[in-house]
Amino acid sequence: MGFAEYLSSLDPQALLQRLPGYAAQGVLWGVMALGVYITFRLLDLADLTVDGTFATGGACTVMLILAGWPAWAALTAAVAAGLLAGLVTGLLHTRLGIPAILAGILTQFALYSVNLRIMGMTANKSVSVDQYPLLLSSRQIPRAALIGVLLAAALTALLCWYFGTEQGSALRATGSNPAMSRAQGVNIDAMKVLGLMLSNGAVALSGGLTAQYQGFADVNMGRGAIVIGLAAVVIGEVLCAALFRRGAPFAVRLLFVAAGGVAYYLVVGLVLWLRLNTNDLKLFTAVIVALFLAVPQLQARRKSSFRAADRKEAQPRA
Amino acid sequence: MLELCDVYKTFHPGTVNEKKALCGLNLRLGPGEFVTVIGGNGAGKSTLLNAVAGVWPVDAGRVRIGGRDVTGLPEYRRAAFIGRVFQDPMLGTAPDMQIGENLALAARRGQKRGLRRGLTRAERGEYRDRLAALGLGLEDRMTVRAGLLSGGQRQALTLLMAALRKPELLLLDEHTAALDPRTAALVLALTDRLIAENGLTALMITHNLRDAIAHGTRLIMMQEGRIILDLAGEEKRRLTADDLLRRFSAAAGEPFDSDRALLADD
Amino acid sequence: MKKLCCILLALALALPLCACGRSQSSASGAEAGAQTAPASASGAASQSASAGKSYVIGICQLVQHAALDAATKGFKDAVTAALGDAVTFEENNAGGDSASCATICSGFVSDGVDLILANATPSLQAAAAATDSIPVLGTAITEYGVALGLTDFSGTVGTNVSGTSDLAPLDQQAAMFAELLPDAKTVGILYCSAEPNSVYQADEVQKALEQSGVTVKIYTFADSNDVSSVTATACGECDALYIPTDNTAASCAETINNVALPAGVPIIAGEEGICKGCGIATLSIDYYELGRTTGEMAVRILRDGAKVSEMPVEYYADPVREYNADLCRQLNITVPDGYTAIAD
Repeated sequence: MGFAEYLSSLDPQALLQRLPGYAAQGVLWGVMALGVYITFRLLDLADLTVDGTFATGGACTVMLILAGWPAWAALTAAVAAGLLAGLVTGLLHTRLGIPAILAGILTQFALYSVNLRIMGMTANKSVSVDQYPLLLSSRQIPRAALIGVLLAAALTALLCWYFGTEQGSALRATGSNPAMSRAQGVNIDAMKVLGLMLSNGAVALSGGLTAQYQGFADVNMGRGAIVIGLAAVVIGEVLCAALFRRGAPFAVRLLFVAAGGVAYYLVVGLVLWLRLNTNDLKLFTAVIVALFLAVPQLQARRKSSFRAADRKEAQPRA
Repeated sequence: MLELCDVYKTFHPGTVNEKKALCGLNLRLGPGEFVTVIGGNGAGKSTLLNAVAGVWPVDAGRVRIGGRDVTGLPEYRRAAFIGRVFQDPMLGTAPDMQIGENLALAARRGQKRGLRRGLTRAERGEYRDRLAALGLGLEDRMTVRAGLLSGGQRQALTLLMAALRKPELLLLDEHTAALDPRTAALVLALTDRLIAENGLTALMITHNLRDAIAHGTRLIMMQEGRIILDLAGEEKRRLTADDLLRRFSAAAGEPFDSDRALLADD
Repeated sequence: MKKLCCILLALALALPLCACGRSQSSASGAEAGAQTAPASASGAASQSASAGKSYVIGICQLVQHAALDAATKGFKDAVTAALGDAVTFEENNAGGDSASCATICSGFVSDGVDLILANATPSLQAAAAATDSIPVLGTAITEYGVALGLTDFSGTVGTNVSGTSDLAPLDQQAAMFAELLPDAKTVGILYCSAEPNSVYQADEVQKALEQSGVTVKIYTFADSNDVSSVTATACGECDALYIPTDNTAASCAETINNVALPAGVPIIAGEEGICKGCGIATLSIDYYELGRTTGEMAVRILRDGAKVSEMPVEYYADPVREYNADLCRQLNITVPDGYTAIAD
């Protein structure tokens, strides 16, 4: 159909109505982004385990709920599974000297088989909100959104408190300057393992929440999770830097990271609403996120760049 | 306070790049001694410091700090007894953390880090006073990220952090080498003051012959992993740079060839 | 710039909290743990079935794939034939990502569409989770009981879900081994471990084959990356292979053929697409026809007011025995009567 027809077929009101659903899903991924933030920003480690841990969290939660556990208990167990996954990656990296990226990939590979086993050798297990008491579901979006926001806020508060403690400060120092941390008596290896555990615990929590929201756990549900997590972290940081030029307090930065997950999903929702060829969904999402991230850079360049300096020099002084 | 007995360390043994960094080094430091270490490039000065700090395990020999044998302890365990300042000003502080947080980190060196607050209000007051004594205006910028400070300010901060809890041993690895002359003088003055006030035992590497002579109670010259000159007390006080060069040639059998030491003048 | 960011951030953080939207799911208001009565599902269905009304149908397809595309096309053709201009379709493709299914379905629900077509299992699960009142028809789903976690599935789901199944009679498929490959003593079953439908089919075919005295070994691959190595292992140990209706295998049919053909191992496939690529024969379901059947069910719901909770899952009526002439020739397989050659 023609361009004018296409434009007129877009319904802004429909987009507004869809937003709460997108935001609800986004805030669950925001929880994951908080986990990725710990390893990516605070520890300066690229942790690819999260693709596997996300599915592990979902698988554990669903299987336990199907077995009759209450939802919050299942989520706690999922977090424990995530802690374990982080521990494995941490040990591979610190004890066996495997570079962090590879250690993460190895654990992620192994988790594929582990996740299959958790789900009883099937790739997909559904958990219906009609039959089981789920904490949240896409059936009731406002409630899901509320619970997601509450959990994200609780996790942010917990992380804020933790990183203000002696141990948390030592962890941040490890990521900021390992040499100095060693000289200050910090056990770098232990801190890295701890950071990986915390991160993967948060990611598993996110996986468990998402599995309940969408009503099923799938062995491939974590594929590409690290990309979404990193995008959310970076989007959150760009937004935070734009709004708080002089640096925001840690708590605010964490909140923005969680909001970055929401922002990412809003972009996905926008692309779906624009009814672009959905085979190109991922391409368009990447383009929009890239534009998003480029804005501050381009702004800075407009103010000061080599080209501009060159041009100014050529003008004669009056 | 510090004892190195027959310490050997070779890097890349058995390869083309093999370097015998420390060859049967023996050194004893009594409490309160402030020793300056000089030597040509590759003499083993930094290796000596790293061996004491525990950056890597030694091939042979024992290291004792404060009477306890620390040879088997890794760096972060030895840190309980040691304060360190690196040559690179960027290495001594955590750039993403605030000045106050850096100091709080140093204050807990050697202790078990638990879940209590990382930086309490009472501590803040103490750190303000300590920073004020530096005279650099840092006490008003305690919430500023360390990464925004200049090299000299970071080095001064690192020094303060190193001396904060009266370590048994202070290790200074050419800590003024990367600073401009004025800041270097400031940091050195600070070094003297902190060591004197707290009665610290210190080991300072420097490339500047004049500094080596002017500061400290004892002077050590190294070459090829061995100590070839060890002067203290009155002998050290009456040294001049020329004396030092002559003594070096006599002890080593060849002229002292560290350009930086020869050309540095301030 | 700052203002724009402020607005965006406020929007991002506040939107989850605002309970806007005339979505039918929020209107149901029940606690997440309560049992939802089927009455509400049929009630909504009868509301939308009035003559002269226009309908919006949301289509959520898991991945771009020949069989799934054919099912969607059949559905659309059947619905358009009956309802003409009165119906608009909202087609979305999740790009193989099950999380996107949830996003797409929640979008449909908040739009208030009249019916959702869920193409493939994760789409069905996401749609069932997102709404209990909008009718959901699944297609290209093998086993509804397994997909929805129903313990005693008797053929009718009973809630707002129904649809068509692409399950060809598995015992008939197993019987093809006896017909075409009587000398095969060991048969390997090859499928992607990430596909939920494949395990079910593999189990059933295994039971049927073992009853006729054949030894069965299972080989799974995780994704398209390990297909060749797993296939090579399978070809080394078996006389023949069976591949169920596995989406990943369908997209890697060429790769499988490149390993199996030189090894001289014939493959019986679960559907035509796989057979074209690497199989010698199949009990074929026409996915286009399957889609049409689903479309006819949709018309009955929308136009004629049928209650989706009372509609049993429909299975494909006449599977056709097909063979791949080229591969049969190359592997020296004699094809008995009753088989149609696959047209290219």
